[in-house]
Amino acid sequence: MKRLSPGRALQLLWTALAYLFLLAPILVLILASFDPSKFFRFPPRSLSLVWYEGALASGEYRSALTASAIIALLAGIISITTGSLAAFALVRFDFPGKRLIEAVLLAPLVLPLIVWAIALLQIYAVLGMSGTLLGLVLAHAVITVPYTVRIMVSTFERIDPSLEAAASSLGAPPLAVARRIVLPLAIPGLVTSAAFSLLISFNDVIVSSLIAGARWITFPVRLFSQLRSEGVDPITLAIGATIIAVILLAAIIGEYTLKWSRHL
Amino acid sequence: MRSSTPLLFLLPAVALSAVVFLAPFAWLIYASFKTQGAGSLLMADGLTVKNYARLVADSYFAAAFVRTIGLSALTTLLTLVVGLPVARLIATGSGRAKGLLLALMLVPLVCGALLPSLGMIHLLGPLGVVNGTLKLLGLTTSSIKFLGTTGGVVLGLVQAFLPLMVLPLVNTLSRLPRDVEHAASSLGASPLRVWRRVILPLAMPGIVAGAVLVFSAAFTAFVTPQVLGQGKIATFGTVAYQQAALVLDWPFASTLAVVVLVAIGLALILSAQFDRLLRRRRLAA
Repeated sequence: MKRLSPGRALQLLWTALAYLFLLAPILVLILASFDPSKFFRFPPRSLSLVWYEGALASGEYRSALTASAIIALLAGIISITTGSLAAFALVRFDFPGKRLIEAVLLAPLVLPLIVWAIALLQIYAVLGMSGTLLGLVLAHAVITVPYTVRIMVSTFERIDPSLEAAASSLGAPPLAVARRIVLPLAIPGLVTSAAFSLLISFNDVIVSSLIAGARWITFPVRLFSQLRSEGVDPITLAIGATIIAVILLAAIIGEYTLKWSRHL
Repeated sequence: MRSSTPLLFLLPAVALSAVVFLAPFAWLIYASFKTQGAGSLLMADGLTVKNYARLVADSYFAAAFVRTIGLSALTTLLTLVVGLPVARLIATGSGRAKGLLLALMLVPLVCGALLPSLGMIHLLGPLGVVNGTLKLLGLTTSSIKFLGTTGGVVLGLVQAFLPLMVLPLVNTLSRLPRDVEHAASSLGASPLRVWRRVILPLAMPGIVAGAVLVFSAAFTAFVTPQVLGQGKIATFGTVAYQQAALVLDWPFASTLAVVVLVAIGLALILSAQFDRLLRRRRLAA
């Protein structure tokens, strides 16, 4: 075994501490959700599932979570269909203005979303789309499309185009090539895109808190308005911890089965 | 395939991005020169620079602006200091460990701004984990105040945006030969010297890319400063959010948004110039 140099040991320690800091709020959220007292204190005196039971019984949070899920699902469908079609064109074809189009597609990753949301809020008001499901779904689709484009561009770049050429030269019509060759090879990328789109939409608060109306209040919007006024309801800790646990599991499973980190 | 195929494939996504995302930015510029009629959300006739004049005249906004620049610069610097050794370790790593570290780095990015802030409240609060641990160890008897202070907000911002620094750095550092450290140190350079003379200069494009991302994210953040600052730390993001969502003065919110956009545009141009300068110097060397 290689001997650990002091420099290397320091680097390992530094990285461990950085990850502890990075994940600390997430781990604390999970710990706090098991403290049965109304206000979490460390160290907790006892642990219980009382807030998880409360979360299951609470109708008000269920409706917010349902709204989040519906919006995430619809936005995710738009994101993966439009995003992967665009990514396929970007990888397989050459055309003028390709760089510009790529920049337009990735713009929501770079430009500040709060600035955009302030504009969208006003345009939705003019169009009478304020607080509508359509308005929220379109906005969430826009912020998730760039993730799909990036993930699918890297997916299609790994698929050998000669497979498609071989299939068509053997007489397969374009649709059959897409269904029998491209789609099966693109499945890992599609699953990754879907996971990212769903999670980003489900957890978005920046855009939603500005454009959400009274009818479609997502869970993060509800939580944000609660934190601004009344403070923390421990039931939200149980729900938040569950969401975080799902994300952590997804990240680990995604990495070990689909190599998520290679797509970025 | 026909030459119209790429156009057809691109159309839905590009239309979505151009119409729903990019077009609203043009509206902002227009709205920033409008005012609202008294007691109404409707915009009054005629264009005016009143909003811009108010922004300059009211020292509250100037103070928030300066505070936000300071917070963002500090956040950028801290993410760099914390992230650089981490990125180097990830870049030189391999296999499962590297993948797992990268996957965990993605977690805060898909968590949204709110859940980590909710955790931070319980980490930094007066009865939270940090103060509880310090008291258990007997290091302090009274709680250290993090929430509602600039320090607490910076901690939250660094936690939230560390991945935006680390991921571009990993990208750049992965392209370096794995044994540059070894090569330099076998020629007698101390580890510190290797970092300063070899790794840092070669990492510069990644540092610039990460710095732009972190600075711009911190500059426009409003959830983290609002929740961890407990409404006491006014930043550009929190002020813009208040004007847009609570005061409902949309023309003035638009003006704030335009100023943010100009500031970030300037930062982008500056960083691009800096990047070009570095490249030219390296070519000359």
